[in-house]
Amino acid sequence: MLELLLQTSVNAIYAASYMALIAVGFVLIFGVMGVINFAHGELYMSGAYAVVYVYAENQLPFFLAVAAGLVFVGLLGLLMEWALFRPLRDNPLGGLIASIGFLLILQTLAVLGFGVRMEHIPPPTREMLNVFGIEGVVLSVQRLYVIVATVLLLGALWVFLRRSKFGVALRACAQDAEAAALQGISMNQAARIAMCIGAALAGIAGALTAPLVRTYPFMGHSVIVTAFIIIIVGGIGSLEGAVVAAVLYAMVHTFVTTFIDGVIADIVGLLLMLLVLVIRPTGLFGIKDRA
Amino acid sequence: MRSVPKYRDMSRRKFLGTTVAGVALAGVVAPNLAFGAAKTVKVGFLAPLTGEVAAWGLPGLYGCQIWAEQVNAAGGIKVGGDSYQVELVSYDNEYAPDKARTGATKLIREDGVKFIMMLGGDTWPAVQPIANRTGMLVSTLLPSDLSPDTKTLIAPCEVHPIYNVTGVQWLAENKPDLKTAVICAQDDALGRPSVATYLAAFEAENIEVVDTVFFDISATDFAPIMTGLLAKNPDILCLDTAYADYVHPLCEQAYQQGFKGQIISCTADFYEKIIEKTSKEFMEGFIFQFPDFDDPALNGPRINFTDPNGFYAEYNKRWPGEWGAVSWEYASILDLWRAGAEKAGSVEPTEVLPAMKAGGKGLHAFGEAEWWGKELFGIDNALVGDWPVVVIENGKAVIKEFKSIPAWWRKHGKLLVKHFDKMGEMYYQRG
Amino acid sequence: MRDGGSADRGKAWGWLAGLGLLCAALIALPHLLSYSQQEIAVFLVINVLLVVSYRLLTLTGEWSLGHVVIMGVGGYASALFTKALGVPVPLAMLLGAASAAATAFVLAFPLFRMKGFYFLIGSFAAGEVIRLLWKRFRVPFGGPKGLKLIPSFPDLEIGALTIDFFEPVNYYYLCLLVVSISVFILYRLERSRIGLTFHAVHWQDSLAESVGVSTWRYRTLAFVIASFFAGLSGALLAHYIGTVNPNRFDVGEMVFVLIWAIVGGTATIYGPILGVVVLTIINEVVLRQLGFDQMRPLFYGAILIASILFLPQGLESLVGKAREAWAGRGGGAGPEDQRFGAQ
Repeated sequence: MLELLLQTSVNAIYAASYMALIAVGFVLIFGVMGVINFAHGELYMSGAYAVVYVYAENQLPFFLAVAAGLVFVGLLGLLMEWALFRPLRDNPLGGLIASIGFLLILQTLAVLGFGVRMEHIPPPTREMLNVFGIEGVVLSVQRLYVIVATVLLLGALWVFLRRSKFGVALRACAQDAEAAALQGISMNQAARIAMCIGAALAGIAGALTAPLVRTYPFMGHSVIVTAFIIIIVGGIGSLEGAVVAAVLYAMVHTFVTTFIDGVIADIVGLLLMLLVLVIRPTGLFGIKDRA
Repeated sequence: MRSVPKYRDMSRRKFLGTTVAGVALAGVVAPNLAFGAAKTVKVGFLAPLTGEVAAWGLPGLYGCQIWAEQVNAAGGIKVGGDSYQVELVSYDNEYAPDKARTGATKLIREDGVKFIMMLGGDTWPAVQPIANRTGMLVSTLLPSDLSPDTKTLIAPCEVHPIYNVTGVQWLAENKPDLKTAVICAQDDALGRPSVATYLAAFEAENIEVVDTVFFDISATDFAPIMTGLLAKNPDILCLDTAYADYVHPLCEQAYQQGFKGQIISCTADFYEKIIEKTSKEFMEGFIFQFPDFDDPALNGPRINFTDPNGFYAEYNKRWPGEWGAVSWEYASILDLWRAGAEKAGSVEPTEVLPAMKAGGKGLHAFGEAEWWGKELFGIDNALVGDWPVVVIENGKAVIKEFKSIPAWWRKHGKLLVKHFDKMGEMYYQRG
Repeated sequence: MRDGGSADRGKAWGWLAGLGLLCAALIALPHLLSYSQQEIAVFLVINVLLVVSYRLLTLTGEWSLGHVVIMGVGGYASALFTKALGVPVPLAMLLGAASAAATAFVLAFPLFRMKGFYFLIGSFAAGEVIRLLWKRFRVPFGGPKGLKLIPSFPDLEIGALTIDFFEPVNYYYLCLLVVSISVFILYRLERSRIGLTFHAVHWQDSLAESVGVSTWRYRTLAFVIASFFAGLSGALLAHYIGTVNPNRFDVGEMVFVLIWAIVGGTATIYGPILGVVVLTIINEVVLRQLGFDQMRPLFYGAILIASILFLPQGLESLVGKAREAWAGRGGGAGPEDQRFGAQ
């Protein structure tokens, strides 16, 4: 029984990691630009397909592929910012709609380029670790990559937001765009950085988990639903809230899946979100509604 | 060192481009191609070609195109002294009922097709009233669509999930010391009746099922599911009719979490990729139900599928890495339909169906079979006979035996009805 | 008003003539179409009601992601009333619509504690819960496969003439009638005192509160009325295709409603109608005939982006411009017309 509990906890830590990577990027984009990026799941998908192309098809090293995914999806983010969100700055709903259009394009390109079937990505490593030295509690090294990357990247992001000039500017924009503008902080620059970082986080999440999940053109859908739940529970616009909510949601979902079943886990997740919405509509860490 | 097999032929993308152009062109030119003498019979393909369910339609359309080209090149089908060229007309129903209805109307009233192949599922109930009114012959891949309300819907190829009993039976005969099993399945129209079937099959062999869990079709992380299952210490891990998308991560998780027992599953599409993710030793003895079509056992006299090995080779040439169960099933249905039309001496649905069902026997892809299903679906419109039990041996799928579904049914039919009823899957229990 | 009576009367005649032409065109339409295009026309008319009802909700400034699920509530309820209780189809359709309205009323309590993006996502969550309930409770909702063999609209017998509503042409006329009446009701409603209050709630939230308008009550009213007509559209759909299932009403479908409304524009009542008509024709007729089956979503996405970037006020703004140009040519500019367009 102890082994089962430990193994489930290990599973939950992994789930929390990749959910946090995705949700934090989603929240960052919303916080700075006020746009719900519906295409976030497809950015995640694009990261996974970068690995398909570079690593699985062209047989280049896995970490090169992950880096390529990071850069590629970061650039996609810049493209979205420049082509879609900047012209629609004063039209948050317009940004949402444009991101839906972008989502359809990315999905179709993936279908045309790679087919509708799931992709097969050979595992970069098949090594396993025994956590706590217990034989029955295992963690694959591939999953460990995801956990380590999440801790490093989110840590770096935290330092960046607290310490660097850009980071401060970014946070200023997120809290009050007008006041930030008065202090000479360019909204364009802040939006570019936020979009690039947010997209790149989704991209690297997709790239790192590509060998672990079903990689197919519509994989973004379930991710965006999870991201919705997490940002509602954490509070829209709060990065810390997103991390805490990702951990909370992953714990609940993983334990319910293991001890009851997966369908019930989904229902419990949604109920958790509704509960938060009803009791505390701004989420656990929510700031006041900006609409 | 990992040895990376040739991943995918890069020309595929180029090919896709030319196909899109070709299809666009065909739409314009096709009507003029019907040159004088040769008659043409149109067959409808009404399945999802875009969207999430496209993997259940598109690869089948590819297979049908190969079938039609080969048949037409060989002079077409011979019906009542005439030769007919077969023209496939496809309509993308996006797995939405309203688009399926629109598509059925177009195929029947505008294109004048004589037979429609569908995936079924969500889209069938919207086509059902049209089929009832027009008497159109329609086939489905999902026999759970069958009901006494529609006489012209047939499930002539894959009588999912009934054939799964053959795998369990073979398992019990060959590995009698395995006594406990766990089942996991996605919670949908494919997963649920399949669970009922496996429960019946295990009960028939006195194998105890110690856990049955469902997951939603949007599930991505399979570690917690596998952790829960393996905690029960089963001898047998049954993956039910999980799609390839789930079979792969489930196997990978079972491997990583140290499962050493027997695995049985309905499908194992792209199993060589599972071996890559786990190990040859781990996958040794994996039991499932879908053979590779280069299997020498398919060249035997019992098989009613034109040149399976050649079809497989051609398919892989055109669509590298796309071969799966769906790839041949629609084509196999075309074979059966062709036999029916040739026997009837007519391509009219009202005559082809009785010819197909004449004497209650028919020729299924895997041998002689009987029209069956009254107890389960309320109508004898499912063609069942022998079905292959496939086992992975030394990294390659091998047909071990063809086992008879009707023979199992005569012995254990009551169990199947019992579990279908419990699961709410009997035809009279459906919404 | 300022121009005096005769100009008004002239304009009224112009309107009437336009309306007459439109009616004639709509009545003649199915006879110019192929069978499958008639089917598409049926679904198009149903979707017109869906998107016009959606617009009513947006008048109060709230954008929901649950509208298609509400449509589904209408379809499921109407189907169950006929299948389980034997209620005649026309009555069941109204009861289905009423069920959707009732569901909306209950949902209003938690949902209208939120505004803006919280409401957007909250409505999505509520919709997902409803869909999960359909999947989970096989009795009475039929589980993931939903309900089938839903009775179709009964044949109408007028003397020797039998009108079979299974035929797309006939059902098209039935839907056209129902949807026209509904759209007219929604149009009158918007121009009534209540409708003006909806606008006020949107634009001057706190001001409206300060003069004693309960924004919560009016938001709920708009939500309930919009849901009634969405439910009606769901019932019209259910009794035509004979089946409802949870997938049919998922967020992917909702995205299309959002797209129609935005591409058409929501300032006028004809904006969303333009959106759904133009996009449906492009997607279902033009792109399919060009053989672009697999590429259709890509074009759809591109059209969406192009229209939001280059036509942010929607297709309706083109109509406004065309009308201005026409009025400029003919002289007597109608300041009245501006009332809808200018928001």
